[in-house]
Amino acid sequence: MTSNIKAEGAPLERSAFRFFKITSVLPALPFLLIFGFFFIYPITKLIYVSFMSNENTFTFGNFQTAFTQPYSTGFVNSIKIAFLSALIAAFPGAIAAYFIETRGPSKLKRSLAMMNGVLANTGGVPLAFMFMAAIGMQGTLTKVLKYFGIDIYAGTFSLGTFTGILLVYLYFQLPLMVIVFSPAIMSLRREWVEAAKNLGASQINYWFRVGFPLLFPSFIASFLLLFASGFSAYATANALTVGNLPLTPLQIGGLLDGNVSASQLNLGKALSVVMILISAVAVIPYLIIQRKAARWQRR
Amino acid sequence: MKRRIDLPLLITLTILALFVFVPMISAFEYSIRTPVEGGYGLTNYKWAVADEDFLYYILRSGWLSALTVLVTLVILVPTVTWLHLSDSKLRPLIDGLSLLPLVIPVVAFAVGAQISLPEFVQNTVLELPFLYFILALPYAYRALDIGLNSIPLKTITEAARSTGASWSRTIISVIIPVIRGAVMGTIALTFALSLGEYTLTVLLHWDTFPTWVTFVAQENILGAIAISMMSLIIPFILLTGITLLMPDRSAQRRK
Repeated sequence: MTSNIKAEGAPLERSAFRFFKITSVLPALPFLLIFGFFFIYPITKLIYVSFMSNENTFTFGNFQTAFTQPYSTGFVNSIKIAFLSALIAAFPGAIAAYFIETRGPSKLKRSLAMMNGVLANTGGVPLAFMFMAAIGMQGTLTKVLKYFGIDIYAGTFSLGTFTGILLVYLYFQLPLMVIVFSPAIMSLRREWVEAAKNLGASQINYWFRVGFPLLFPSFIASFLLLFASGFSAYATANALTVGNLPLTPLQIGGLLDGNVSASQLNLGKALSVVMILISAVAVIPYLIIQRKAARWQRR
Repeated sequence: MKRRIDLPLLITLTILALFVFVPMISAFEYSIRTPVEGGYGLTNYKWAVADEDFLYYILRSGWLSALTVLVTLVILVPTVTWLHLSDSKLRPLIDGLSLLPLVIPVVAFAVGAQISLPEFVQNTVLELPFLYFILALPYAYRALDIGLNSIPLKTITEAARSTGASWSRTIISVIIPVIRGAVMGTIALTFALSLGEYTLTVLLHWDTFPTWVTFVAQENILGAIAISMMSLIIPFILLTGITLLMPDRSAQRRK
């Protein structure tokens, strides 16, 4: 009899437990399935195929080629343009965010946030054409500057060069900096300035002992996000260059389209994997800092 | 409130305005030049709008973006709501997963999609809304997450459920209206992202409005510039107008 009771009790308990288990995953299933199929699966397969030779055997060959010419120059250029555009945009962007957040009326803040959103996101192709019209060879701004005696085409400048692309990237990097850095500014509370002043700190003391240290992690995080955005940008550079400037995203695009032929079929996949790794080095610290900062920013 | 002019703010805004509007206005001047007749006119804009492809691609990009918004809301709103209500162990996992697309450059994602997705998926343009959904996920998820964090979700849901609302009704007519700010943000962001998406679309060989612009540029660069100006300035004016007209929410709450 005792065993019978146990036998009756146990399955019930277990099935209740099982029911709980299923319901604890089931509602998330549509999301997990779609995310798995459209994201995890493609990325996993990409990594897997990047280690495949033309004969479908395991190889490091694709990665070895990825670090030779012209692909190594592509990486160097991509990293340089991402780093420089992030660096140049970071300081003015942070200062602009500070003045807008601390001194701007709320309507101004909201409309600027919207405008920045449009600029940072619509980017891409329209941006490239806009700059062609503004500072292209026959562009309006080029002519206006020439009228004032500044000929931007006197040297080697052209929109398709490193400097040209850098200039265009700044147009979406700066608004992006204002967007991602503003929350950090908002978290600086007036009470802290007052507290510091009450304890005898000057304005400069406050900034060096309180303000900058508090903002520094968010500043680095924003810089890293800008780096990643500049590093991955494809559309603008694709529209402005004609294969004269080696950048990794363009090289991958060329290999994928078959415009550029390589003896190794899976070279483009290896380049993509290296790109993911470089981007991860920037984005993952960004996410970690953001998460830590969000804890005290939300309070 | 002090009403005097704030000099640092004014300088910042002036520099920002120059930075944003000088290229925009000079490009606009360029786009209304009429090289044949000389002088200015809307020839390029008329040419672009008169092209029957113009409307075709606008509508195509429009419905693809609308579908992306639908996919995003249908998948995310119930999922995020459930994660908030159930304190599931999956929550930190899905929080992390939703951020993953930020790590992957779109070019790499396009390569992955092209080599992995089965043919029946790649043969239909309906794959794009799902791929755009992935691209918008980090932003959409966070917007909804913050929205749900700011309301007493458990109380509201229990109230709706105990007065006899089904789950779908609870979500559609209770939760979504309560977090409409976050939902509107998600819709705007997802729609804008899908409408302007170029990299993934072109690498997977689909034609939408942004890829059509680069095609136009090959035959009529002035026309392409005119279209680009429209696609930059119209959302710019529209969105700024909407934010200026919308009532100040923080002010309302204080009342």
